[in-house]
Amino acid sequence: MAEPILEVRGLVKHYPLTSGILFKKQVGAVKAVDGVDFDLARGETLGIVGESGCGKSTVAKMLVNLERPTAGEIRYKGEDITRLSGRALKTVRRNIQMVFQDPYTSLNPRMTVGDIIGEAYDIHPEAAPKGDRRGRVRDLLDVVGLNPEYINRYPHQFSGGQRQRIGIARGLALRPEIIVADEPVSALDVSVQAQVINLMGRLQSEFDLSYIFIAHDLSIVRHISDRVGVMYLGRIVETGRDAEIYDHPTHPYTQALLSAVPVPDPEAREHRERIILAGDVPSPTNIPSGCRFRTRCWKARERCALEVPALAVPAEFRSVSGPAAHDSACHFAEEMRVVPPEDAGPPAPPAPPGSRGSHGPRSARGPHGAHREDGGGA
Amino acid sequence: MPEQEPYEPERAIAGTGMGGTMDLGTSEAVTLEQPPGPDGADPREKPRSLWSDAWHDLRRNPVFIISALVILFLVVISLWPSLIASGNPLKCDLAKAQEGSQPGHPFGFNGQGCDVYTRTVYGARTSVAVGILATLGVAVLGSVLGGLAGFFGGGGDAVLSRITDIFFAIPVVLGGLVLLSVITSNTIWPVIGFIVLLGWPQISRIARGSVITAKQNDYVQAARALGASNSRLLLRHIAPNAIAPVIVVATIALGTYISLEATLSFLGVGLKPPSVSWGIDISSAAPYVRNAPHALLWPSGALALTVLAFIMLGDAVRDALDPKLR
Amino acid sequence: MLLEVRDLHVEFHTRDGVAKAVNGVSYGVDAGETLAVLGESGSGKSVTAQTVMGILDVPPGRITSGEILFEGRDLLKLKEEERRKVRGAEMAMIFQDALSSLNPVLTVGAQLAEMFTVHRGMSRKDAQAKAVELMDRVRIPAARERVKQYPHQFSGGMRQRIMIAMAMALEPKLIIADEPTTALDVTVQAQVMDLLAELQRELNMGLILITHDLGVVADVADKIAVMYAGRIVETAPVHDIYKAPAHPYTRGLLDSIPRLDQKGQELYAIKGLPPNLTRIPPGCAFHPRCPMAQDVCRTDVPPLYEVTESDAERGSACHFWRECLHG
Repeated sequence: MAEPILEVRGLVKHYPLTSGILFKKQVGAVKAVDGVDFDLARGETLGIVGESGCGKSTVAKMLVNLERPTAGEIRYKGEDITRLSGRALKTVRRNIQMVFQDPYTSLNPRMTVGDIIGEAYDIHPEAAPKGDRRGRVRDLLDVVGLNPEYINRYPHQFSGGQRQRIGIARGLALRPEIIVADEPVSALDVSVQAQVINLMGRLQSEFDLSYIFIAHDLSIVRHISDRVGVMYLGRIVETGRDAEIYDHPTHPYTQALLSAVPVPDPEAREHRERIILAGDVPSPTNIPSGCRFRTRCWKARERCALEVPALAVPAEFRSVSGPAAHDSACHFAEEMRVVPPEDAGPPAPPAPPGSRGSHGPRSARGPHGAHREDGGGA
Repeated sequence: MPEQEPYEPERAIAGTGMGGTMDLGTSEAVTLEQPPGPDGADPREKPRSLWSDAWHDLRRNPVFIISALVILFLVVISLWPSLIASGNPLKCDLAKAQEGSQPGHPFGFNGQGCDVYTRTVYGARTSVAVGILATLGVAVLGSVLGGLAGFFGGGGDAVLSRITDIFFAIPVVLGGLVLLSVITSNTIWPVIGFIVLLGWPQISRIARGSVITAKQNDYVQAARALGASNSRLLLRHIAPNAIAPVIVVATIALGTYISLEATLSFLGVGLKPPSVSWGIDISSAAPYVRNAPHALLWPSGALALTVLAFIMLGDAVRDALDPKLR
Repeated sequence: MLLEVRDLHVEFHTRDGVAKAVNGVSYGVDAGETLAVLGESGSGKSVTAQTVMGILDVPPGRITSGEILFEGRDLLKLKEEERRKVRGAEMAMIFQDALSSLNPVLTVGAQLAEMFTVHRGMSRKDAQAKAVELMDRVRIPAARERVKQYPHQFSGGMRQRIMIAMAMALEPKLIIADEPTTALDVTVQAQVMDLLAELQRELNMGLILITHDLGVVADVADKIAVMYAGRIVETAPVHDIYKAPAHPYTRGLLDSIPRLDQKGQELYAIKGLPPNLTRIPPGCAFHPRCPMAQDVCRTDVPPLYEVTESDAERGSACHFWRECLHG
């Protein structure tokens, strides 16, 4: 991998639980994030998937310094940014920006679109000369596919998808190198999701961005990510290139997660094997000993309760080279193909970042060929 | 790759997104979104803020129009009472005491032989001045303290919350009798001061709550992520979104402050003669109510109408600003 | 036919004019059958369901015409009193947000038992026993103890199970599920959907599943009705529609979803945005966004054509359904 632009090491966030009114006593902690490591290379997209409460949003907040980690380091170009403050923090903030989930609450309803996007320049006056700011905001609106004439409108005059574009324009205003997107399309309608995802893909190459893309929708994450990390109860349990995770998962949680995704193909109903997990995710205040997934795992044995599995290439795959040899925090890791390859053709080859993946048979067909030329051709 | 613009054909439309929120339930169904039309330029749509939306609603609300006209009239006669009353409220003729309506004196005379019409008109000034000034004081003090407590939280917030609890425990009239009886100044300022002292906790609670709500919005987080300072967060992002409930409660409270002044004056601890106030007039007319009911009726009627107008205005403003209805 | 909706029209009076939420919707569902109503927000899918259920807020809503035949009776002609008897006992609804659909100050047991004391006139003790039985049936572990807990003490998936239990309590003939799993995590989604399908089979109920998720539809539905701007644009058995959609909107939706089994760089995106319901375009409502639109689409509203080239019963509201089907 190329020189990482962001390195996260041992990231922990515990929220103390206190009792007592006058004399507060700590009685426990919500272990939202409990030891997360990953790297992000320049121009790369790292997808983080997991269910609600797994800590993925807390990781996002710590990356953009909205939350202070309890422990661990976030190194941006080699410098730990978790303890920065004042001017140094402000400089780092210019380079790591965030796109929020809810396009309805993430834009100030009392401000015009121009003020919302231009606020970045009020806070960082050095980023744009004064006379130039309105022009830059117009350019940004144009870049995200909105009419620059809308600069004086208020957020409630836009639809959800358009608001999310405004949110993306705000994230781009300072020309950051990294964008942390926390569920950026999950509040949008299906047909609009595709527009916003395509936009994010286009902006990535146009502005040389690195993305941390956080979502619960595995299909979307696969679509946009070069590498994927699967989180469960505050930890990454499996990580690898997208094809390694989706076509050759070795962690039982990843396998269950993948098998549970409804596939838009009724033919798959019969010949698809479904792993239905028992029960719910345990509370993050009371994390199971050993492997945190063992309470819902069909493979759990005594060892799982005693030993915390490390996130590394499992021993059985260490000698082989192949897509199954990637980091997986399981004592009994075992490859299992859960997502059936598409019936009419070979599975899409893992696409190196920057190159274009091949389209399956579905995408090649239909009256939309002309549109698709823009994206898939050339 | 920028030349491969999958969006180019859509630029003119600039459109993505949902047409309406119909499916979220019928309560939202009335608030259909207004995405710009397919040609990108919706002729009906000028940029409008939530405040101008509220104004749009208010202009069509008869309750607002009536109460606003009443209040406008009150403000005008408080500033220039001589516009409609030529007499002197302090010129009284005991010989005419308790006399009824007669030419030039439509409301008759009170127990001291003063013209009830003139005194009622001049009394508006005290009521309106006390109401507006006390409300301003309460709103400023309450929203600053409550807003800061809500924003910063922690120890200061806890202390402030206990202090407001203590103030809530003080019975208003009893507190007024005790505190104001030691003051000899016969101006409106001690009364205003007393109302501010007892009134700010109410606003402070509301401001605190609404700042806490506004603070959790993603746009505040977004501004923080951009590196915004606390003062920018408070002034630019939180205050404009948290101020609406404060305005609503303050407008409604204004009416009650006016009646509180009248109550205190009635009890003899607010304004005292020779000041002119509806409360004083009601107090002095009360003993003769059987013989000269008009002397009681006109000032209390004016007081009731004024209080009602402000409360109705507050209601109308709340309806216009309530985000649940839009 | 257990339920048959015929040419239903519903509108809303809004500040910006009359919003035509439902414009002539017809669909039917049989006992034991699952009809999926697919659409994005604003398509009118939930408003139709609320009208069927009789829980539409009137005003601002207004049913301007149409029939809702439930076992042959037109529900719209019933008195409110009779209508209420149908609700709960004969047809029940499951909502997306279980937390706000359950009363937070009552135990779940009390809420389940209420169904039996009110509708069946059971004693409190019997009703309580029934509540435990129901919770067992929707596989809530330790039902006997948990029956005394309050809604906030349950996880999202468990709450949705309680909602299902409540809907099933009186063994209705029809269940309307409005985005029942949208708020849940995928692993829990699968559990809840499986449970719902299983109970449906067991009780031979009709199920109307309202959703925007093409994946969920493919997993459970027998037939599907795709809605756009208050109209049904395509109906078909579920297998046919995924294989060869006969309406460009359906086709666009299918193409715009990212797939788990492939990684592409660019997704197909339907251009533009759904229409404002106060100003639905003339002709075919989809024409401004349609890649196949011709002049006739801008002027003539397409009826729901019968798709004759299919063995199954299919319909498409597109003038060019043939081209779309073979496209």
